[in-house]
Amino acid sequence: MQNQLHQLKEEALLAIKAAKDKVDLEELENKFLGRKNGELTNLMKGLKDLEVEARKIAGQLANDVKNMIEAALNEKKGELSSGEWAMELEKERVDVTAPALPAVERGHLHPITQVLEEMNGVARAMGFIVEDGPDLDSDYYCFEALNIPTTHPARDSQDTFYIKNHPQWCMRPHVSNMQVRLMQKYGAPLRIAYPGRVFRNEATDASHEHTFYQYESLVVDKDMNIGHLIGIIKELLRGLYQTDVEVRLRPGFFPFVEPGFEMDMKCLICGGKGCGACKHSGWVETLGCGLIHPRVVEIAGFDPKVWHGLAFGMGLTRLAMQKYGIHDIRLLMGGDLRFLKQF
Amino acid sequence: MYISYNWLKQYINLPDSIKADEVARNLTMSTVEVESVHHKGKHLENIVVGKVLLVEKHPNADKLKVCEVDVGTDKLKIVCGGSNVREGMLCAVAKLGAKVKWHGEGESIEMKEAEIRGVKSYGMICASTEIGLGEMFPLKEEKEILDLSAMKLAVGKPLAEALSLNEVVLEIDNKSMTNRPDLWGHYGMAREVAAVFKKDLKNYEVKDVSAGSTVKIKVKVEDEKLCPRYMAVVIEGIKIEPSPAWLAQKIHAIGLRPINNIVDITNYIMYDLGEPMHAFDAARLKGIRSKDKGVNILVKRAKDGEKFRTLDGAEHQLDSSMLVIANDEKSVALAGIMGGEESEISNDTTTIIFEAANFDAATIRKASVKLGLRTDSSARFEKALDPNLCEQALAKAVELTLQLCTGAKVASKVVDDKKFHLYQGPIELPWEFLYKKIGVQIDKKEVLAILERLGFELKEKKDCLVVTIPTWRATKDISIPEDLVEEVARIYGYNNIPVQLPVFPITPPIANSQRILEWKLRDIFSQGLGYSEVYNYSFVSGKQIKNLGDDAGLYLELDNPISDERPYLRRHIVGGLIENVVQNIERFPTVKLFEIGKKFTVEAAGPRARFNGDELLPQQGNWLIAIYADKKDANPYWQMRQAAQLVADNLNLELKYQPKKKLMPWQHPTRSAELVYKDKVIGLASEITPQIAKNFGLSVRAGILGINIDQLVETGALNVSPNYQIISAFPEVMRDLAFVVKKSVTHDEIVWALHNIDHLLKKVELFDVYEGATIGDEYKSMAYRFTFSHTERTLKSEEVDKAMEKVRQVIEKLGGEVRV
Repeated sequence: MQNQLHQLKEEALLAIKAAKDKVDLEELENKFLGRKNGELTNLMKGLKDLEVEARKIAGQLANDVKNMIEAALNEKKGELSSGEWAMELEKERVDVTAPALPAVERGHLHPITQVLEEMNGVARAMGFIVEDGPDLDSDYYCFEALNIPTTHPARDSQDTFYIKNHPQWCMRPHVSNMQVRLMQKYGAPLRIAYPGRVFRNEATDASHEHTFYQYESLVVDKDMNIGHLIGIIKELLRGLYQTDVEVRLRPGFFPFVEPGFEMDMKCLICGGKGCGACKHSGWVETLGCGLIHPRVVEIAGFDPKVWHGLAFGMGLTRLAMQKYGIHDIRLLMGGDLRFLKQF
Repeated sequence: MYISYNWLKQYINLPDSIKADEVARNLTMSTVEVESVHHKGKHLENIVVGKVLLVEKHPNADKLKVCEVDVGTDKLKIVCGGSNVREGMLCAVAKLGAKVKWHGEGESIEMKEAEIRGVKSYGMICASTEIGLGEMFPLKEEKEILDLSAMKLAVGKPLAEALSLNEVVLEIDNKSMTNRPDLWGHYGMAREVAAVFKKDLKNYEVKDVSAGSTVKIKVKVEDEKLCPRYMAVVIEGIKIEPSPAWLAQKIHAIGLRPINNIVDITNYIMYDLGEPMHAFDAARLKGIRSKDKGVNILVKRAKDGEKFRTLDGAEHQLDSSMLVIANDEKSVALAGIMGGEESEISNDTTTIIFEAANFDAATIRKASVKLGLRTDSSARFEKALDPNLCEQALAKAVELTLQLCTGAKVASKVVDDKKFHLYQGPIELPWEFLYKKIGVQIDKKEVLAILERLGFELKEKKDCLVVTIPTWRATKDISIPEDLVEEVARIYGYNNIPVQLPVFPITPPIANSQRILEWKLRDIFSQGLGYSEVYNYSFVSGKQIKNLGDDAGLYLELDNPISDERPYLRRHIVGGLIENVVQNIERFPTVKLFEIGKKFTVEAAGPRARFNGDELLPQQGNWLIAIYADKKDANPYWQMRQAAQLVADNLNLELKYQPKKKLMPWQHPTRSAELVYKDKVIGLASEITPQIAKNFGLSVRAGILGINIDQLVETGALNVSPNYQIISAFPEVMRDLAFVVKKSVTHDEIVWALHNIDHLLKKVELFDVYEGATIGDEYKSMAYRFTFSHTERTLKSEEVDKAMEKVRQVIEKLGGEVRV
């Protein structure tokens, strides 16, 4: 009996291994384990004729053989079905190179917005408040409070838009109108940035706009010198460009700072060797800056002997044009989706 | 402005080791921006004066000669086709490496050893046109080479040097010296160069004028504020001639054309000292009275409406804000700007009046701007010149005139009408202040040397310097210690100052709610809703206002718009966006745009015009306006409603929507909802009325969404947290109910009627609306889903049935008929 069981086991396992499909397997299951005529079932019918002790051993063995055959059948079933799955899934193949349809279009942020937000991010991280202010402002905040006398050319209607029937109102020609406003609002010490839209009375062409954007910042504290000015601006530029920048300071004149400077940055494209982007000079004019004029500090309500300030401003529109290589400034205010969708 | 390097060197001893480019660079870093350095003789490099020693026939060409030419260092064999080449002549020889233009045409090419018809040639004997000197030496014949024999030039000398053409000119950016009246002449610029290079500046030498007495000249200045100084002198025996070479060359170098000796002298002085001068023809002026030989000069305001012809031939209409120079009869010059045509120096001039004056900067600038007449003279006066310059300028002009016109003599005394005061300080400059502002301790001796070279007079006191401002810096340029800090620091070198970082507390910056909200909205619209951001002008056209059906009378207007195209300040942002849709809809089937910007409302209160002042500027409200148009969407309202809801959901706001009653002409009367948050209207979802769209040429329906950013900030919308609820462990029960109701019954009414009717009812959601003939024109079918739940137990069916019965009763009260 035991020999017969061993033989049956060997035979069954071999047959199962050789099975080709589910039909084969079902036949084999029937052949060996079938309830009525299965070979193992038939063998086990002979158990009752055995001695008690022998029946126990043979019964145990028969049970083991049954389990082994069942396990082999299950394993084989799994093998066969995964092959069938593969065939099934093959029929579901998609062209992964094709775009999803219908296309979902994303929206686009204006290029100036994008550069503005980069600047804001750096400024905030350096502890600057970021503020907004009026586009239409008084002659007082635009000029008088900034130590710009009535005879200064910037006050000409050639350069500044004035408002009809309100001779003391104008469209701000620079965001510097915010300097005294913000010093009055927040007091000292102060670190603040105030980007915004500015207006100049000039005819538009590919490189001139009457409406453009500036980014200006100021710091008021008890100890502020030229070395600090360079240091702060260098850090800001480093934050913006994520690389060390080399700068140089030259004299520049703005009535609301003394001394005033122009700051050039070593061209990041050619590294200072000279290229088209820097007009072959190796340097790019980047911003105007200076120590805040004591008269402006005083007008803002502080003692210029105690409080010292510095301010620096750059053209945001120009920065965006440089960054993306935009050749015509008019596109920025033009509303053409063919342009806007590129950003 | 052009600065001639040679001219500059008249006033400072600069060693040859210092080159013009270095001077330009250092001026840029310390004084003014030098835009470029022009090496005028550079194209003549490797071209020298040569002497033709031998001329022989070319063995293989009839028209060519083989010459031996002495070029000083060497004797060269050169093949030449010049028709006038002869032995013994002086010529221009392009040696190997020189740049020439063949026959004066095309690109410059470099001279190389060549073989011409079998004969080697080591250079070229040049025609004037081949080396860019065609204007100076015009060709008389096509194949003629430049014959320099008459000029007795040294053989071998570089041609540029031999002809004095090796001028180096610095081009200064005028905008960079608007604050420096003293730099508008070579002498002032030389002072800067001397300071930068630590060299001594030579004195400006002038001879005293010995007065004449034949003519009596009188000057009367009407308003000395407008003309602080007026000097004049009469010179007779003038002979108008071309200027001598040295003067003509200087005039050329600064970019002007030589005209005649007298005019050139005035221009020379303007570029030498920076003081504009004028010369009148005394005879043409009819100023000198024959009986007593007297001349009266009057400096006065022009008459309103007065007509005046300037020497450029243009006629101007003057007004009383402008200053003129007049004789007894009429105006003869626009003060400080340009002389009159009538008294212009001509070839017959024999007696002149020289004027050296000082005029009020603002008056000159205003007149110049008003007349559209900007001259070298007005550009200088409007910077506020030192009145002391008049003296030097007039004396120098007389000196040069007597030198150039041998028969000339001074015919009058020098009149000098002056009344001015300059603030020359002294200013106290504490050492500590200086160091604190610059950020580095500069050696005291160096500070003294810098200021002294710039012309400041210094006295040392304990702890500070006492500084007297030189007159040429005292007109408006320098008046406070900070100005002196700049003087020291720029000459010391800004880039020698060590870079420092200040120490700041780590306090985080105050957050600006408006900017944060704007950024969130940008994110929602661009990333969440697929809108593209657009920037439109703050200025709008009258046509746009008319298209919007609005009243231009309500708008603020520019006093000086660039053109009549966009004279108004926008009161509404939507107009620009409708125009953007029109511009794009033909190319894109769907247009989704938004703009965040300011609109100007004159009648509403805005920021203060002054600190603590009463005057208020117009309100400049910050709004987001989004517009949507799709050729296939005839009811774009729902897109806007959806966008509004997404904004509300993103900000955790519970918005109410109510029909807008007071409508602007472009707001669809039956498709406009006000967005209400905490009882404040914070925006609008709407459709553009088709008639208004048509005005703009738009035939597609367009939806608009407006969000009042300022209002939203004010309601505290930025700080609303999500309303978190414990998730119930017990199942929710949902029941649907559809009913027919009159169209006039709104969703809002239904929801509010169901509000709080049963504590188990948690949610009321509309999921379908149907309108159609089967249910009648006045009716609509609405289907709602009701959600019931209890946090502590599972609901029984009967409980829900009971609650639904309440719902049914409410619906029936509203006139609804439940569909089964």
